[in-house]
Amino acid sequence: MTEVLLHVENLHVSVGDTPIIQGISLEIKRGEIHAIMGRNGAGKSTLANVVMGHPAYEVTSGTIHYKGQNLEDMEVFERARAGMFLSFQYPAAIPGVQVGTFLRKSVASVRGEAPSPRAFRKELNEAMKQLDMDKSFLSRYVNDGFSGGEKKRLEILQMLLLQPDLALLDETDSGLDIDALRIVADGINAVAEDTGCMIITHYQRLLDLVRPNFVHVLIDGKIVQSGGPDLAIKLEREGYDWVDALV
Amino acid sequence: MTSYLDATVPNRSEHLWRYTPWSRVHPGNIDTIPVVQSALVKSEDLELNQTSFEPFSSTDIARIFLNEILEETVVVSCDDANGHIHIHAGGHAAATHLHFSCSTASNVIVHLHGEPDWFGLALTGDINANAQLSVGIINELSSDSVMVRVDDWCVHRDARFELATLSMGGHRNKSDIRSTLVGTNASLKQFIAVHGHGTRHDDHHIEIHHQQPHTTSHLILNAACDDRSHSIGTGALKIDDNAQHTDAGQVFRNLLLSPSSRAEAIPELEVLANEVAAAHGAASAPINKEQLHYLMSRGLSEQEATSMIVEGFLVDSFSGLDSDHVREAMQTRLTVHLECQLIG
Repeated sequence: MTEVLLHVENLHVSVGDTPIIQGISLEIKRGEIHAIMGRNGAGKSTLANVVMGHPAYEVTSGTIHYKGQNLEDMEVFERARAGMFLSFQYPAAIPGVQVGTFLRKSVASVRGEAPSPRAFRKELNEAMKQLDMDKSFLSRYVNDGFSGGEKKRLEILQMLLLQPDLALLDETDSGLDIDALRIVADGINAVAEDTGCMIITHYQRLLDLVRPNFVHVLIDGKIVQSGGPDLAIKLEREGYDWVDALV
Repeated sequence: MTSYLDATVPNRSEHLWRYTPWSRVHPGNIDTIPVVQSALVKSEDLELNQTSFEPFSSTDIARIFLNEILEETVVVSCDDANGHIHIHAGGHAAATHLHFSCSTASNVIVHLHGEPDWFGLALTGDINANAQLSVGIINELSSDSVMVRVDDWCVHRDARFELATLSMGGHRNKSDIRSTLVGTNASLKQFIAVHGHGTRHDDHHIEIHHQQPHTTSHLILNAACDDRSHSIGTGALKIDDNAQHTDAGQVFRNLLLSPSSRAEAIPELEVLANEVAAAHGAASAPINKEQLHYLMSRGLSEQEATSMIVEGFLVDSFSGLDSDHVREAMQTRLTVHLECQLIG
């Protein structure tokens, strides 16, 4: 039986007194790609962030299990070490910290041991080549002064190196030109086969390149419609008005 | 020249001594002049020559005090040279005066170590016309030491001067760093990184005086304060009325790592010229939660993530240094210091 990686049950989430997610249930198995679509403010990013354990969000009811383990008591870094990964929509800049240093420490933390310098260099070179990234990237400070596209490539580079079991990709396609989108999509496809993926996106164009098994539409913090890849095509063609009628 | 015992001890209404009164950084009773030994100054790659000390002509109490206790000046010949100077201080009280004279291009690291109860450091220099000098000061004095540092730098026409300070040692430090841009097109970049830990008290007063047109100065002070440490950064930027087309900026940033840590950042501007760009900014904040979350989402524990952010914050102080030699030396020493702190 295919392993269930993420099981979200009747999840309610608030920020302060404002409810954002109002009863989401979702299950992602290994090898599955789930696309989450919806208007701005529907709660898509909140869902990804709360699964990863962002402290700004409060789970008011419901549960999130990862590989059968309740995430309630797991710190963010423990989730990462257990194989969860979030590609941030707006990744934080860390001035003064070089990308190369950051990647090495991150890989060592997630794997539980530092890879040998030679092995890591080889692995890094291959991943950067796959994403068409210049080596000068490594001496720059993490996300500091990066363009939108550079930030997204760095996120995917991390995903390739960390080889997560569950990847949450929050608008990874935003800020990418057509060529960069294709490269990033190849990167996602490279890990997707063995991973559970949640892809948050506004656009069909990424889903042309990374084929989802399921598409979910989020309206006001609830999944109001689920379907196959055709659902994304219909949304691209007709917008969200017809979904409103379902609420 | 005013003798120390005749000088008036400044009170705390004076900007320079508001946060660190002279009585707290004098080596003993402020009515006395203690016996002070010379610090050991060595370099394997730079030529150092000793000469008689020429007293400062200043009304500042720290300089007047140093006039009484300094007997020698170590002149650093730093033309076309890259090198390290080690200053080792010990005993109850030690002091030294280094004078730099640069007419070409040089990069110099000055490394302070030892366990003196009190250390007086005077740094002076002439960066002559068209010269380029980059100096890095690394303070790794014992955690029990008190230090008084006074600097007087003179940057001449078309000269470029970089002064970086990495302040990690000493229990209580008072630094009064003054630079004057005396020639047209003179340029000064000053970088200061402060790591506050324990009950460390570190007070930097930075005066930059633009006397001529088309001069530039940029100052960055980043202080990361942990435990019950206290960092002070006061800036005094003066632009004379004839120093048109001056471009000057001062930025003070404080990272507060514990509820008991404190930091002050007080830039002051006195601009008498019309056509200048003069900017200043100051900010104090705890660790950015988004940065912390981002690093933790990559598997780093909260402590590891915090250390990485602090290191980056301090390393970034030196990012603007043009001298690779000085930048790499400062950043390497900082990384070693923070790793030792983490292990210790």
